[in-house]
Amino acid sequence: MEETSDRLNPTTDTSGVTPEFDPKTMRSTKPGLKRLFITTSVLFSFLLGVPFLWKSVEIYRSPLPFHDIDSLSDQIESTPLRFPCNLHAVFVGFESKDPDNLRSQIQDGINQLTHQSSQCGSCNVSISVTVQNLAEQCLETLAHNPSTCSYRCGVIIRNEFGVGLDDTVDESLNDVFSGCSENSGKTYSVVVVNKENANGEDEVIKAVVGKRRHAWVVGSGLEERYGDIVARVSEIFVKVFMNGGRDEESIHGEFMPVGSDGKIVLSFSLLNSNPRDWVYDWDFQRIDDALLAPVTKALAPIANISVESQVLYHTPKSSFSSWDEKLQSYIFRTSDLPFFVNSNEWHLDTSAGASGRSKILQFVVYIPSGKECPLLLQLPNGEISKTNGFISPMWGGVIVWNPESCDKDSESPIRNTISPQDLEQIVEIFLGQFRQLFGFKSEAIYTSGLGTYKILPSERGFTEWELDVLSRKHTCFNLHSCSTTLGSLSRLVRSLPRMIIKDEIGEQVKYSLKAAKLAQSNASLGGYSSSASSSREARSLAENAFFHPSIMSVSYFSYEHCFAVYSPFFLPVVGHIVLAAFREWKRYRQEKAKYLTWLTRKKTA
Amino acid sequence: MASLVRSWIPLLILQSFLVAVAFGSKEAEQFSEALLLKPLPDRKVLAHFHFENRAPPSNSHGRHHHLFPKAISQLVQKFRVKEMELSFTQGRWNHEHWGGFDPLSSMNAKPVGVELWAVFDVPQSQVDTSWKNLTHALSGLFCASINFLESSTSYAAPTWGFGTNSDKLRYGSLPREAVCTENLTPWLKLLPCRDKDGISALMNRPSVYRGFYHSQRLHLSTVESGQEGLGSGIVLEQTLTVVLQPETTSVETNMQPSWSLSSLFGRKVVGSCVLAKSSNVYLQLEGRLGHESKNVDTEIEAHKLWKNADFDLSLKPDRVLRESSGLLFIFDIDKSSDSEPFDLGLNWKLPSKWSCQQAPLQASRFLMGSGNERGAIAILLKATESQEKLPGRELTDGRCTIKANIFQIFPWYIKVYYHTLQIFVDQQQKTDSEVLKKINVSPSTDKVSSGMLEMMLELPCEVKSAAISIEYDKGFLHIDEYPPDANQGFDIPSALISFPSHHASLDFQEELSKSPLLSSFKEKSLVRSYTEVLLVPLTTPDFSMPYNVITITCTIFALYFGSLLNVLRRRIGEEERFLKSQAGKKTGGVKQLLLRLTAKIRGRPIEAPSSESPAAESSFLSTKLIFKIILIAGAAAAWQYFSTDK
Repeated sequence: MEETSDRLNPTTDTSGVTPEFDPKTMRSTKPGLKRLFITTSVLFSFLLGVPFLWKSVEIYRSPLPFHDIDSLSDQIESTPLRFPCNLHAVFVGFESKDPDNLRSQIQDGINQLTHQSSQCGSCNVSISVTVQNLAEQCLETLAHNPSTCSYRCGVIIRNEFGVGLDDTVDESLNDVFSGCSENSGKTYSVVVVNKENANGEDEVIKAVVGKRRHAWVVGSGLEERYGDIVARVSEIFVKVFMNGGRDEESIHGEFMPVGSDGKIVLSFSLLNSNPRDWVYDWDFQRIDDALLAPVTKALAPIANISVESQVLYHTPKSSFSSWDEKLQSYIFRTSDLPFFVNSNEWHLDTSAGASGRSKILQFVVYIPSGKECPLLLQLPNGEISKTNGFISPMWGGVIVWNPESCDKDSESPIRNTISPQDLEQIVEIFLGQFRQLFGFKSEAIYTSGLGTYKILPSERGFTEWELDVLSRKHTCFNLHSCSTTLGSLSRLVRSLPRMIIKDEIGEQVKYSLKAAKLAQSNASLGGYSSSASSSREARSLAENAFFHPSIMSVSYFSYEHCFAVYSPFFLPVVGHIVLAAFREWKRYRQEKAKYLTWLTRKKTA
Repeated sequence: MASLVRSWIPLLILQSFLVAVAFGSKEAEQFSEALLLKPLPDRKVLAHFHFENRAPPSNSHGRHHHLFPKAISQLVQKFRVKEMELSFTQGRWNHEHWGGFDPLSSMNAKPVGVELWAVFDVPQSQVDTSWKNLTHALSGLFCASINFLESSTSYAAPTWGFGTNSDKLRYGSLPREAVCTENLTPWLKLLPCRDKDGISALMNRPSVYRGFYHSQRLHLSTVESGQEGLGSGIVLEQTLTVVLQPETTSVETNMQPSWSLSSLFGRKVVGSCVLAKSSNVYLQLEGRLGHESKNVDTEIEAHKLWKNADFDLSLKPDRVLRESSGLLFIFDIDKSSDSEPFDLGLNWKLPSKWSCQQAPLQASRFLMGSGNERGAIAILLKATESQEKLPGRELTDGRCTIKANIFQIFPWYIKVYYHTLQIFVDQQQKTDSEVLKKINVSPSTDKVSSGMLEMMLELPCEVKSAAISIEYDKGFLHIDEYPPDANQGFDIPSALISFPSHHASLDFQEELSKSPLLSSFKEKSLVRSYTEVLLVPLTTPDFSMPYNVITITCTIFALYFGSLLNVLRRRIGEEERFLKSQAGKKTGGVKQLLLRLTAKIRGRPIEAPSSESPAAESSFLSTKLIFKIILIAGAAAAWQYFSTDK
């Protein structure tokens, strides 16, 4: 108001002061700044408010260590995890061999077999060789690794070795190598005994792989064929101890039937396809206690296994079988197998006890009805399957068990119980299937180009060296799955900018990465169980983060919503302010120009 | 002597233990099936399927099973359920015609929708967690939305009003759950023969769901073994109660329709489930005893029971039992086969009429009041005809009384004023102390817990009617809390009326076999009835309202802000000069008027128009207008761009 009154003055006083003053183009006072100041300050306060508003509509996203995730997956891709393994070869009864020479030959053989490729979960081999000559004196390679086993010279007596049962030999070897320290990786020993040629003829070389971590090759006249022997030693190490006697290059990670929380539920079902013909029951409790408990105990470092069983009725199979006159039985072929499992009628129910992400393996014993009894599985080569069963990877296995006689003797069905002998057989088949699900062979003989190896089966289902293979593969698989899960999580998070990410997820990712790092370092130090457990933790944390219930809570507060809520206020107001500021500024310039012309006029005047 | 006893005791314990172990190992899981058929006075037929599965005490529950469903056993193990009942019901039980005072109705007349109650064997602090987990597990198991019972606003912890007295009991019901075959199939999966064989093969879905009432129930209870170190046994009882209307060709309206199993269900029984220990079909005829002679010893007399002038049965019953109010024919279906299916039929020859035993009081519930603000709930108890004959009357202070428990859950949005509770007996208002013996109220907390009312009435025996009314205010829900069909209204779960001094049981004169169905009928069960579900319409907002409100307030704010800014930067002196110059220039009629008006509003005298040209003024006005139009168009274009872009 004051300003306006000020400005009125020049118009009133003009006539007196300067005759050439033109009120339309000039003014005598300085233009005022008040209104310009008010409008610009309002405009600036609005502009300053924009970041605050932006902050208030922002959704919470916990910062994820994207860089660490990427580097972890790069690392796992580029440098596969390798565990230190020690091979101790003892040559007994060799006269003139230099251990260092033998060592390098074995090393060459191993390199040749592994093709220098380093897949995940393989071994970082260190070899030590001991040669015991006929006079029971020993020559050793210089120990690269101080913790390798020391073989006491002369414990293995050349001509007494390998007599008797293989199991007892295995036990005695265990005593011989009992002094091994296991701080840095597992130590595998291969004993080669060159016997005296008693009969004068060339004896067959006998190669046995024991239940623990020992193998032995016994034969006579080995000194002359030592190149062959060295090849076999390196083959035992690579094919059996390192790869678990599997044929395929590597069982891919997917075939590790362990749940992401490290649990396996073995669900056994006895299916009576038509109880009107006969009803069979079993005493599974006893089987569980006697035969399965040792297996679950042996696998405890790899997975936490629980066993349950049920008997189901009225469960026909969904494929057809045909009568074969020659075999006097019904036949189903391998081509029918995909249709055998009847998911409509076999309610093998997922267990309520297996909460979360445990892996459930179904093992089904199918008892055919009277119309299709006996039911046999015909292999593609026309032979009848010995086990009469099949596996489905990651699902479980099916065993068809035919009752002793397929005649319906009476009108009313009798309730039978499967005899303990039959049950044991079934469990044996099951153990074979279980081993196959883990990628092992179910046969006790491993054949390669150089000969056959007898593999001593363990009553626990898995031998110690097989468990080593499993825990190496398991660690590897866990780390791989952890890195892929974290990788897809980070891709998902980066692709959805309006997704809320809770702190919990961020922490799980952080701890998962930490556990993965720990597993890697433990593995390189040779801590099998510690690396397995921390890799399991890494995987389960990664899965927890990925499957966190809040992960898909994309904010409902979308951009459209934002626009709809704020535009009724901000659009008109901002229009006002910007216009006002613009006009004031324009006017100020205009007035200033007037004032300047007045000044120049005054000066010239 | 003492030392002798002491040395004997361990021996005895050991012996009993050995015996128990030997016995326990022999004891196996047992399954039995039964079907009860019962013609109803209103020309309908009731079919009640009853399956019982018993697992003996064992430590391997949840792990190794032969007949008992593994899923249920694992549920019991995991959530430590002591007792549980889950029912799925569609239709309303007609207490007047279908009976209200027999074990069948007191156990199987259930409220519409889903009802679940469970007693847990966990410390008090964990009961709610167990309940929540159990609801989720059951909802997965039975393909139903039982998980809605998880929220603390939907369940309650009855203390004594429910009949089972336990502080670890939780009760909840979902009145709106639609029950259909997807709930029946998982229920059938728990039976060893499913619906493949035996009595359950009768469950033809179209005929079951065509009925007037069907209620599938699952009741499980654990039986303590009483031995150290041995788990408890589980008894699983599954029942399906269906009320069907037989198709009739008879024109006579008072004639009862004749039916057979195949006409009712469209299927026949071709043999029992081979896994069942017993499989029987029962036919219960009520009000038949008066006609028959007392002794059924002779063959002719026995024959007369099932083939007489009134009716005849198509099959000869294996046994006939007499019960206080009627006859029970027992058929064993083991003998039937594919060639000779079991198809029981009942053929009426003469019109016959009888009535069912009814509960002492018949309950109904309704809403009072109108509008969206408040209302009242009334429960009306009416005396039935059979009231005088019933046992269970009590004498208190020399007066004959009937006790009735009322248990009611109120959702939190029904804000009940408990002080407005009024009780009328025979249309006369009574004070609380006269009729109310016990009352337990737990008020609801908004959005946290539901309210619960338990009360025990003691009514005089000669009561004709009793009414209870209670007023409530309707609450407002948050916009997120409305269900998708909010305009349909909100359900108040059924109230439960039970009569604690009345127990229903069937009393057979002959001591009978261990049929699980009959023994469950023999047990005394509390007489109870459920009332109707009430539908309360709540105020439902226009769900676009928030945006309207936002838009209006924002516009007002914007107007205010804009005008404030204009006032701040206005130059009044300059305007006045401008006006002056204009007034001097021209005196157009309308313009003059406008000027005058504006001047009046501003409270300033009209000044002489200045000498400015009107053309410039009008052109200035038009540019302003054009600018405004452009601005609005620009905003609209921007809006269009943003709204179509996303």
